[in-house]
Amino acid sequence: MKKNYNVEITEEILRVRLGQMIVNERYKNNEFKIPIHLALGHEAIAVSVDSIMEKDDKLILSHRNIHYNLAREKSLKPEIDEYYLKEGGLSKGQLGSMNLANEKKGIVYTSSILGNNLPVATGVALGKKVKNEDGIVIVETGDGAIEEGSFYESLVFLKSNNLPVLIIIENNGWSLATRIKERRCDIDIKKLTESINIKYELLDSNDTYEYIEKLKNLREYTLLNKTPVCIEVRLATLGSWYLKTEDHPNGKFINYHAGPAPTVNVKNGALIKESQDDPVFVLQKYFSKDEIEEISQNILKKLEEEIN
Amino acid sequence: MKYVEFVNKSISQKILKSKKVVLFGQNISTGSCLSGLTRKMSVKKGDYIINTPNCENTQCGVGFGLMINGVSSIFFMKQQDFLLLGIDHLVNTYNFIRRKKPSASFTIVTTVVDNGYQGLQSSLNNFGDFCSIARVPGFTIANKEDIKQIINAHLISPGFRIIGVSQRLFELELIEIEKTYSNKESTLFQYTEGNEVTIVCFNFSFPYGFELHNKLKKKGIASSLFSVNVVTPINWDRIIENLEITKRLVVIDDSKSENLSCYNFLMDAYDKCQINNKIIIKRDFSKDWLSPNLDQLEINYGNIIEKLIGTL
Repeated sequence: MKKNYNVEITEEILRVRLGQMIVNERYKNNEFKIPIHLALGHEAIAVSVDSIMEKDDKLILSHRNIHYNLAREKSLKPEIDEYYLKEGGLSKGQLGSMNLANEKKGIVYTSSILGNNLPVATGVALGKKVKNEDGIVIVETGDGAIEEGSFYESLVFLKSNNLPVLIIIENNGWSLATRIKERRCDIDIKKLTESINIKYELLDSNDTYEYIEKLKNLREYTLLNKTPVCIEVRLATLGSWYLKTEDHPNGKFINYHAGPAPTVNVKNGALIKESQDDPVFVLQKYFSKDEIEEISQNILKKLEEEIN
Repeated sequence: MKYVEFVNKSISQKILKSKKVVLFGQNISTGSCLSGLTRKMSVKKGDYIINTPNCENTQCGVGFGLMINGVSSIFFMKQQDFLLLGIDHLVNTYNFIRRKKPSASFTIVTTVVDNGYQGLQSSLNNFGDFCSIARVPGFTIANKEDIKQIINAHLISPGFRIIGVSQRLFELELIEIEKTYSNKESTLFQYTEGNEVTIVCFNFSFPYGFELHNKLKKKGIASSLFSVNVVTPINWDRIIENLEITKRLVVIDDSKSENLSCYNFLMDAYDKCQINNKIIIKRDFSKDWLSPNLDQLEINYGNIIEKLIGTL
């Protein structure tokens, strides 16, 4: 250990990563009837949000929610059973993946529709104000959803009604198979949000320890100032591959969106990419490669015991 | 008293009797207050009236978000066609919410623009199409009796629904007529008992049916007058029983849809009754319906009465 850092955070990152990798293996075997959007590479923000959430906070998610659900539930089996649509699943097999919520853990709504969850989060936040409840609302969205009118509408409504909400934009640069530059002009989220007097923060290091500290401060800020805060999280969805076709004999780049990630294999360990794109790689700032590998093996063993 | 004044009064009274409720919408406590619909509405201390920005999609989502948090609300919507912008929530968000019995109420009160010469925005004045999109409970209100009963039963009650008010009726004197029957869901009302003609009104066509009933009465013809105030199919037995006696049917449906609410009733009626004389009054879509037009049904009551007399 390089310094006396809280190992539990690293364990959580690895648990959320390996949990997804186990889902991916089963997905590759065609074991699920439902579509699942893996969030390999998104673990840092999910674990950080889980870490700073207080008892009365509410979390509202989008179609890509596996990382938050794993982080909040602290267990893989209920989520995997939900994907099998079993009665014993997290939501009794009624919600599958894209709408998976978990009221007991504060996830009160999850939407499969792009931008749909922002107005609902606004209503939940207004309800908190009306009831004089403690806590904040955290809503997760993406760089595709911010193109929807509901994003702007919700920001204006939130600001007009002084509602403490953290809006987390997971910006992976892609919407389905389209890069941002292939579909739209640049959106300067900082300028956009600041034009309506909403604070903006950028998170792009994939460093969970750093994110937790920043989110704690932003949570305090939104509560104290009764204002929404917009947090852009730049990240990479890992699991892309190259598909060889007649037109692309050297392979066409396929961005991971949904379905299994064919090139990712749990047998190769938790690390997917040797770069800052991978929050597991970033953990090496705090723990040695060997330490991470050892923790990883222990977690994988526990997860497999849990589900088998 | 005018229709809009009575709707306003009924809603106001219900709100003041209810526990915590949030009222929101554009211009609901400023300007014309939605042509008087929300004028001088007040809530109890601690409740909220919010004049919102122009954000129909968000407004719909906010109502459901409040509901998730156990807070009841009413969203006043100036025109039903604006609600098109929030339709995702009426389908997807509502489907998420309705899996469990909610503790809170969310009602959208919307004005159906059916007062004529409004152009493109009035091409959608069919309340039924809106409600059928996700089997949303929806109620139309057209006279003193159904306003009173539907507002009392449904305005603030666990669950979600839309209540439609008719712009065409806003400035008209309120029709006051006692009911002789209503079902427990407040979806079917009967106002008169007669054994010669059965009149069944759908959407906001009750005033037409009421006028026909009065004209028939003057001619000494006894009619039963029904109003169907909901868009989803209901149990038609009460009307069918009457129709089996009268064997003469007048159906009036003023909505603008390819799938009129009255069709479901008519299938049942054709199947179960021998009808000697049937008159279906609905819109003629062979005419230009996109350009500004009268919008109201043009009914030749004299012709209808003549046709009915022919089989008496």
